[in-house]
Amino acid sequence: MKNSKFFAKMASAVALSSMILAGCSSDDSNGDNGESASGDKIQIDIFQGKVEFKEQFEDLVALYEEENPNVEINVETVGGGTDYAPVLKSAFSSGDAPNIFNVTGPQDVIDYKEYLTDLSDTEAAGAALDGTLTTVTDGEQILGLPFNQEGYGLIYNKAIFEKAGINPDDILSMADLEAAVQTIDQQKEELGLEAVFALPAKEAWVLGDHLANTYLAPEFNHDVMEAFEADTVTFEKGDEMKQFVDLQFDYSIQPVLSLDYSQQVEEYFSLQQVAIIQQGNWIYPSVEQMDPEFAQNIGVLPIPVEGNEGSLPVGVPNYWAVNNDFDEEVVQASKDFLDWMYTSETGKEAVLNDFKFIPAYEGYDTSKIADPLSQEIYEYASNGNTIGWVFSGYPSNPWGTGVIGPNIQKYLAGEMTWEEVEADAIAKWEEERQ
Amino acid sequence: MRNRDLSFWLFLTPVLLGLILVVIVPLIYGTVFSFTDWNGLSATTFVGLEHYLNLLHDQEFIDAIVFTILFSVVSIILLNALGLSLAILVTRQIKTNNMLRTIFFMPNLIGGLILGFIWQFIFISVFGDIGEALQIEAMQGWLSTTSTGFWGLVILTCWQMAGYIMIIYIAYLQNIPNELIEAAKIDGANSWQRFRNITFPLVAPAFTVSMFLTLSTSFKIYDQNLSLTNGGPFESTQMVAMEIVKTAFSANEMAYGQAKAVVFFIIVSIIALTQVYYNKKREVDM
Repeated sequence: MKNSKFFAKMASAVALSSMILAGCSSDDSNGDNGESASGDKIQIDIFQGKVEFKEQFEDLVALYEEENPNVEINVETVGGGTDYAPVLKSAFSSGDAPNIFNVTGPQDVIDYKEYLTDLSDTEAAGAALDGTLTTVTDGEQILGLPFNQEGYGLIYNKAIFEKAGINPDDILSMADLEAAVQTIDQQKEELGLEAVFALPAKEAWVLGDHLANTYLAPEFNHDVMEAFEADTVTFEKGDEMKQFVDLQFDYSIQPVLSLDYSQQVEEYFSLQQVAIIQQGNWIYPSVEQMDPEFAQNIGVLPIPVEGNEGSLPVGVPNYWAVNNDFDEEVVQASKDFLDWMYTSETGKEAVLNDFKFIPAYEGYDTSKIADPLSQEIYEYASNGNTIGWVFSGYPSNPWGTGVIGPNIQKYLAGEMTWEEVEADAIAKWEEERQ
Repeated sequence: MRNRDLSFWLFLTPVLLGLILVVIVPLIYGTVFSFTDWNGLSATTFVGLEHYLNLLHDQEFIDAIVFTILFSVVSIILLNALGLSLAILVTRQIKTNNMLRTIFFMPNLIGGLILGFIWQFIFISVFGDIGEALQIEAMQGWLSTTSTGFWGLVILTCWQMAGYIMIIYIAYLQNIPNELIEAAKIDGANSWQRFRNITFPLVAPAFTVSMFLTLSTSFKIYDQNLSLTNGGPFESTQMVAMEIVKTAFSANEMAYGQAKAVVFFIIVSIIALTQVYYNKKREVDM
C-alpha cells in the first residue's frame, strides 16, 4: 500500500506547486514602448513628485486628452522630497521608465544625463525667465523645464503686527528685526500669542537647506552652479547666521527640537499662536484650509542679510525632464504636452489659478496670481530683489539635511558650539568635493 | 526524518522558489553590487573592498550600530520580562482572561508608522500637557533629547510587541503538565520555588523563540523609528536600518548603502545564531 500513498502525495504536491507557480506568472504582453496595444494612441507616462497639486494637474491632463484625442496620458504621483528620487531610480533600473519625470538639481542632471532630451526647441524653454534654466543647461542644450518659482522668508501675521504697532516695511536689517521681535514679545499676552516664532528645528531641511542657504548664497554670488562646483565653503556670513538662529530659537515655542513642519504651520501659525514663521509660499494652501480668512491676511518679510537687505530667496525647486529613450513620436508628444501646459491659454490659466504657482515663464498675467504670498514673492522676484537658491548645489551626501542641519540642531541642544558647527560643516563639504 | 523523497522536495518547491527569488537572489546581487560603484542606475567599475574599508571610519554608521545594539539589549530584556509577566497574569484563573489577552495583543495589529505617529502625539502633546498641569519638568520636551528619544522608542516597541511575545509564552505555559506543579505543591514548594524550578526551565524553549524574535525585530526596526523621531534630534536616535536607507537614497550612494547592509546582515546573523545556539543548550527535555 506504500505505493498508492506515495502517488497520492506526489499528485497533490505537483498540483499545489503548479498552482502557486501559475499564480506567479502573469500575462503581461502589453507593448512597453509608449504605445498601447489598443489603437494608435500615443501613450505618455508622467511620473511626478509634487503631491500638493496632484488633482489639479490630473484635471489639466484630462483637458489635454480631450483636445488631443490621439494622446493618452497616465500620471503617477509619488510624494514629498526624499521619496520621489528612490522610486524614480527604481523605475529606471527596472526598465519601466516614465516619459516625463522630474529632476531637482545639478546632481540629478548629471545622474540622468543619458536619458534627458534637449528641450531647447520648445516654446516653453524660450519663455522661461532669465536664470531659471542655469542648472539644467548643458552647453547649447536645455535639459529641463522649470515647474514654477518658489520663495521663502519670514511669513508674518499682519493683524498682529498692526496691533503691536509695527510697520513691516521698516524691517530690513537684523537690528530692525530684533527690535520688532522684542516689541511683540513684550505684548504677547495681550496679543494672545504663545511665542513670537515657531522654529521647527526637527526638520533638518528648514535649518540646513533654507536657513543656511540665505546666508551662504552671497558667498557663491547667488549662483547654484558656483555652489555646485565650489571646493569649499567659508561661512563668510556665519556670525549673522548664528544671530538669526539664536533670535528664532530664543523667541520660539519650546522645545524646538521636537517641533515639526505641520505643527509650525498648522498648529501654531494658522491658529495664530505665533506671529512669525520662517517658511515659503508653499504653506499657503495649508493655511487657507485651516482658516481662509486669516490666509488673506499674511505677508512675507525678507530674512535680513547684510548687503542683501530687502531680498527674498527665490528659486526653482523642480524641473520637468523628457526621457529620450523612446520613439521620436512619443518624445515629441511629451514635449508638446509640456509646451501646451506652460504656453497655451488653458495651461496658463491652470498654472496660475489651479496650481497656484508663481510662474517661471514670461507671458503670464501675474496680477492674477491667486494668493497674497505668491503675489508678494513674485514682486520681489520681478524687481530683482532675490537671494539665490544655492542649496540644490550643496554636496550630495546630503550636506544640507545631513550635515549643516543636524549641526545646527546640535548647537540648539547645546552639544556643539557655533565654531564647531561651522568647522565640521566646512570639513564635510571639502571631503565630499575632493 | 528519512522520508525525503521526491514528494518532499515537490512540496517544498513553491516555498524554496519564493525564498530563492525574493531572498537569495537579491542577497547575492546586493553583495556583488557592494563591490562596485553602483548608483542605482548603472555600475561601471569594480571598486573591491573600498566601501567596506570606508565603513570602518564612518562615524555615523558606527553611532547607529551602537545605538541599535543598546536599544536592542534594553528592549529584549524588557520585552521578555513583560511578555512573560503578562502571560503568567493571563494564565491565572481570572474571569477577564480572554479579554485581557485580546487587549494586550491588540497594539501588535497596528502598523508601525501609525503607531509612531500616535506615540509622537502622546509623547509631545499629552506628556507636555500633563507635565504642565502637574508641574513636572521631566514630562516636557520628550523626543527632543537623545535619551528621551531612546526611551520613547523602547516604550513604543514594548507596547507594540509585548502582547505578541505574551502569546508565545502562553502557549508554553499551558503545556506544563499540572501534575508537576501539584507534585511540587505537595512537596511543600512555595510559589516562587515552583516558578523558579519548574515553570522557568520548562518555558526555556519559549525563551529561545521569543528572544530570537525580539532580537531580530529590534535590530531591524525602521518604520517606528521613522515616524517617531525620524532619527532626530540631530540623527542621534537613528538606527542602522534608517542609516542604510539614508545612505542609499538620500545620499545617493547605493553601493555604499549596500555594503552597510551586508555588514548589518552579517552582524545580525552572527548575534542571532549565537543566541539560538546557547539558548538551545539551556533547554531541558521533559
